[in-house]
Amino acid sequence: MYGLEAIQAHNGWAVAVVGITIVFTGLVVLSLIISQLHKVLDFISNPNKFEVFRPANVEPADKKDEPVEEVPSFTGAQMETARQYRMLARTLEDEFLLPKLLNLAVISGVDKPHANLGLLVRAGVITPDGQGFFQWNQDAFDRIIS
Amino acid sequence: MDALFLEFFQNTGFYLCDYRYIIMIIIGCIFIYLGIAKHYEPLLLVPIGFGMLVGNIPIFKGLGLGIYESNSVLHYLYFGVTQGIYPPLIFLGIGAMTDFSTLLARPVLMLLGAAAQAGIFITFIGALALGFAPNEASAIGIIGGADGPTAIFLTAKLAPRLIGPIAVAAYSYMALVPVIQPPIMKLLTSREERLIRMEEPREVSKKEKVIFPIVAFLLCCFLAPAALPLLGMLCFGNLLKEAVVTERLAVAARNAIIDTATILLGLTVGASTQGDVFLTGSSVRIFVLGACSFAIATACGLLFAKLMNLFLKTKINPLLGAAGVSAVPDSARVVQHVGQQEDPTNFLLMHAMAPNVSGVIGSAIAAGVLWSLMA
Repeated sequence: MYGLEAIQAHNGWAVAVVGITIVFTGLVVLSLIISQLHKVLDFISNPNKFEVFRPANVEPADKKDEPVEEVPSFTGAQMETARQYRMLARTLEDEFLLPKLLNLAVISGVDKPHANLGLLVRAGVITPDGQGFFQWNQDAFDRIIS
Repeated sequence: MDALFLEFFQNTGFYLCDYRYIIMIIIGCIFIYLGIAKHYEPLLLVPIGFGMLVGNIPIFKGLGLGIYESNSVLHYLYFGVTQGIYPPLIFLGIGAMTDFSTLLARPVLMLLGAAAQAGIFITFIGALALGFAPNEASAIGIIGGADGPTAIFLTAKLAPRLIGPIAVAAYSYMALVPVIQPPIMKLLTSREERLIRMEEPREVSKKEKVIFPIVAFLLCCFLAPAALPLLGMLCFGNLLKEAVVTERLAVAARNAIIDTATILLGLTVGASTQGDVFLTGSSVRIFVLGACSFAIATACGLLFAKLMNLFLKTKINPLLGAAGVSAVPDSARVVQHVGQQEDPTNFLLMHAMAPNVSGVIGSAIAAGVLWSLMA
């Protein structure tokens, strides 16, 4: 049996629609949950930040009381990768393009080059200059390694 | 003495050989060449290519050498494929390697991974139309998920006799991502769209990263329990990585375990492509359908990204849709490459990893759905 007749006979249209629907439902619900996850965690760690849950006589926390932005923690392996990145960055100009550094890291076989590069950017070890180039922040690097 | 020589000669590969073995040996050599010289998925193509050489040495049946002979060493190794053991081990390693940060930072990109899975179901319909049985059509459709272990896992469960052609097709197309995807991406997007820059993702906390694999596992497996072997191992591997305290286990999963499973899977899948059982009309149709599946999956991801842009305030680069197929990380690299052809300072790789890893989850769910509907 071939063609539309075969699709019809094996309930093909229904299977396809049900399949796509389930995959979409699963990923949509998952994306909704994870989009709210950081808010839930934020609420659990600091319920006073939310208007509804703040006691009437408590003033809203001012900027000084807000938690300092969390600096990502580095595992031993990530510190080692950061050292490798430092060596690679030294081979470039003071201001460099991120893809160039990433490419060097990939060629050099650095472990998880994309993820670790992202970690360094988030930790402020590699900082953007606002014009498409990036710089190596030695102070931030020293703080993390020490 | 002449009779002894003659008897020996009649058991050699030279005597038993026919054109099908030669064709498969040439294909095996091409795989090895593509892996070593062109760097197309070398970790997969080299074991599969060499496995093809192993499987296509013409042998005297009954000596217990061939992969389809029940008392052979290769047959025992092949057990991990036919029983779906190796794919979950590979997923464990993938989980231990994958960083879900970009996905957690911008969950809406997960929808691109879902959209690309439409290719699986469209190809399923195409395979039915070409006369395949529903369970075989399901196994063929999953090639569009661009996820070799998932394709092998589902085929082992639904259509074991097609493991060889489907595995070879799936891995061939995964290796050819840099060749197949760019023309489709350029055809379906304008230059202006390819120039769109993605906004910087927000910071993702460690807690979120630890909680994500647990939530993802529970939700997806409650929805599609048949995805349990694959998603369970993927999420477990990721939890080992993110928990930090289990770093030793994570290192084992992403190095020794995944490497061992890949070697055994690649070699035995390659060896299962014996010319006399592999070179059939259905294998050719599987290859054609596999290519269509891959192209449709890419197109669905791209078109869905364009559709999302109609509703989003901050536009996303539609090239990211092509990364919805789960060939990790090759399709994300292709997105980066095509994006940088238009603007060398546009850095899309990290953003493309979000739909890429959600494609892995999506294709595992799709495999689970098809398995539960067909089993």
